[in-house]
Amino acid sequence: MTQKDIILETHNLTRYFGGLAAVDDVSIQIERNTLHAIIGPNGAGKTTLFNLISGVLKPTSGNVVYKGQDLTKLPVHRMIHMGLGRSFQITNIFPNLSAFENVRLAAQSMRGDNFKILRDPSKIEGCDDRSWDVLKQVGLFEKAMVPGRFLSHGDQRKLELGMILAPDPELLLLDEPTAGMAGEEVPELIDLIRAVQAQGSKTVLLVEHNMNVVMENADVITVMNHGKVLAEGKPAEIANNQEVQTAYLGGLYEIDVA
Amino acid sequence: MNKNKSFLSRNKGILIFLAVMLVLPFIIGLFEGSNPVAVWNNQGTFSKHLEGIGIEIFILAIFALSYDLLFGVTGMMSFGHTMFFAVAAYTTGIALKSFGLPLWQVLLIIVGTSIVQAFLFSIVLPRVKGVTFTMVTLGMASMFHIIVMSSDMIKWTGADVGLQGVPKPAFIDPTIERLRFYVVALLILVLVYIFYKRFIDSPTGRVCVSIRENESRAKMLGYNTTIFKVVVMLIASFTASIAGVLHTLYQPIVSPTIADLGYTVTGLLIVLIGGIATQSGAIVGAFVIKLLDLALRGIMKDSAPLVTGVVYVIFVLFVPYGIVGSLKLGGFKIKQGWQMLLERFGLKKAMPKEE
Repeated sequence: MTQKDIILETHNLTRYFGGLAAVDDVSIQIERNTLHAIIGPNGAGKTTLFNLISGVLKPTSGNVVYKGQDLTKLPVHRMIHMGLGRSFQITNIFPNLSAFENVRLAAQSMRGDNFKILRDPSKIEGCDDRSWDVLKQVGLFEKAMVPGRFLSHGDQRKLELGMILAPDPELLLLDEPTAGMAGEEVPELIDLIRAVQAQGSKTVLLVEHNMNVVMENADVITVMNHGKVLAEGKPAEIANNQEVQTAYLGGLYEIDVA
Repeated sequence: MNKNKSFLSRNKGILIFLAVMLVLPFIIGLFEGSNPVAVWNNQGTFSKHLEGIGIEIFILAIFALSYDLLFGVTGMMSFGHTMFFAVAAYTTGIALKSFGLPLWQVLLIIVGTSIVQAFLFSIVLPRVKGVTFTMVTLGMASMFHIIVMSSDMIKWTGADVGLQGVPKPAFIDPTIERLRFYVVALLILVLVYIFYKRFIDSPTGRVCVSIRENESRAKMLGYNTTIFKVVVMLIASFTASIAGVLHTLYQPIVSPTIADLGYTVTGLLIVLIGGIATQSGAIVGAFVIKLLDLALRGIMKDSAPLVTGVVYVIFVLFVPYGIVGSLKLGGFKIKQGWQMLLERFGLKKAMPKEE
């Protein structure tokens, strides 16, 4: 454990809902250029932890440090400018705008031309090109002019990923990107995430329910249960961890490592 | 998509409108037997009367455009919008009548008051949303209405009688130089329209649309949405104030009804009838509302508002996209339109919220 390049870490992060500690004294470190997954059974506090890291919720105590800065004190709209992109479990797009405009808005926010009130947006340097590139990357090039609400659920998830990618963040926070997707669409999206992470030398923090996805693709896995960190390590270590098997699967299933 | 279009082809519609409206008084003049020279010298009776109606429509359209920017484009449902209009109208009247200021100084004051008001509305922006924002704006506008109506202010505002006897600057006096006033009002409307079109399609305007669509998402994309809303508030406030100045300059009496909620609703109705967030809808809507009102008043005198009310309700029920919106879509699309209206009024969410 020497000389790790840590991009984001949490210190004793705790959040109470009433008397219940949804996240209890969690300290994790996320290394640069890795795909770090957080897994755990329902109600383990994964999403709460995610919301604490991404600033949707304020912690009861503890803090989140991203590149030396405390994220918990930052307004939401500043995060993206620090290289943090995030997506949520529930699809969150602009339903009446075209896929292209959805992505374009995401790209525009980084360019500093936001208050040129008489400018033609297509003349912002690199903004349209970037949007088309991202749409190609996530495979929505042909559907660029379709309003967000008319896209299939899987395409909406891809669009959401495109909106996160457009500003070119260093750290991607993804909360169950495959939630509600049809089975055959899942590998496609995961491959995409993996490719983005590897090619762009980005860091991905992934909260995931789908075990197979995580086991095959993550570099590091943190297992949570009852708001605490149960185990952390490489997929193989986690799969062989007796404690994890009992907690996560109630000892009923074997974790299938492909 | 409209990358290399020239100014002319981009604004073809409004420029045709400008040309038609400029020629119209002269053509009307021919029908009543006064030649163009007579119309030019403001001698035609009927053409002068029509110019007056035109001026009122242009003022309504400018007001509705500013309301549409707030409500239709950015999704801020304000019930106090008429305050911008009324404050400008009364400030102009009082400055001209009680202080005898020249018009250019009045205009400077109006710029000031519109900025102050926009910031007054903006103070509450980061704190309240949706219906609460609507109610707060209503409260602020009502406050101004009460001040205008109070008997302590009778010396300045004329209270419920209205502000009378405002001296009009000679070069734009609507009774003598009616045609000139008409052209000025028309040009202001066209300029506001072109500026609005440009603004809404600018990077700033696009963000405003995204705020309407899903504000929390816009924030997550890295936009400080409050600043964008303040910018829109400033533009809308200033535009509505211009309409207010024109109103005072044109009308013989500044009636306190313009400070009432009813006037904001007129703006809302114009937008709904013309078509939400279409800009040209505000102009079309203003024509429809004013002309329908005049026609019905001619037929049934004071009971006209009852009928117009029913007509509007039925119209909005069956043409939710408004005239321009329906034309653009090529159909009424009632069901889809209602979905859109419910979303706009904050009664239904297009996308589930996070958490």
